[in-house]
Amino acid sequence: MRKLVRLALLTLIAVWAWRRFFGRSGPEERAGISYGDGSSIVLEPGSPSFERLAGIARHALRP
Amino acid sequence: MELRKLSSQIEAAALLDAGGGVAAASPETEGDRLARLAAELTAAARDIGAQDEVTRVEVELAEGAVFVLAEGGSTVVARTGPEPSAGLVVYDLRTCLRSIAEQQQPEEEAKSKPKRSRRTKSASGEPAASEEAAE
Repeated sequence: MRKLVRLALLTLIAVWAWRRFFGRSGPEERAGISYGDGSSIVLEPGSPSFERLAGIARHALRP
Repeated sequence: MELRKLSSQIEAAALLDAGGGVAAASPETEGDRLARLAAELTAAARDIGAQDEVTRVEVELAEGAVFVLAEGGSTVVARTGPEPSAGLVVYDLRTCLRSIAEQQQPEEEAKSKPKRSRRTKSASGEPAASEEAAE
């Protein structure tokens, strides 16, 4: 029983540490476009296309 | 507008007609702003993909998210707060667009339906053959 409790405790600490040091720090940013022919693009944050769309959206999201 | 009731995550939304004009908006004061946003995002999306027909543009940022969906000549644009459930928002917007398209369809059918011609008497006094009789 004691071993089981210790294992559970270790698991909890490991999960917390993983999230603390390797988890995402802020909200994820992303952008995507779909077209009439069924194709779609996912734009990578930091790419010029993403920044172009993000710039337009940011301007509109400002209070 | 029922859109904001549909999804609690949507802070503002606008329905645009085929020409990009505001057909409905909630709140009404944001209609023009959202229409401009949709036009700018759609134009940028056209450039990026080098394609004319853009059906969806989705931008999620730390400060909020913007969704533009186009279907059947109508466009709906919505603004949400940070970290929305994107799938749910898109589903709600698409449902809205489809219900509008369904409402418009019977109206268009009624408009395009030819009017029945009145029965006219021929010179001999006999009623002329109408479309119904021909059928």
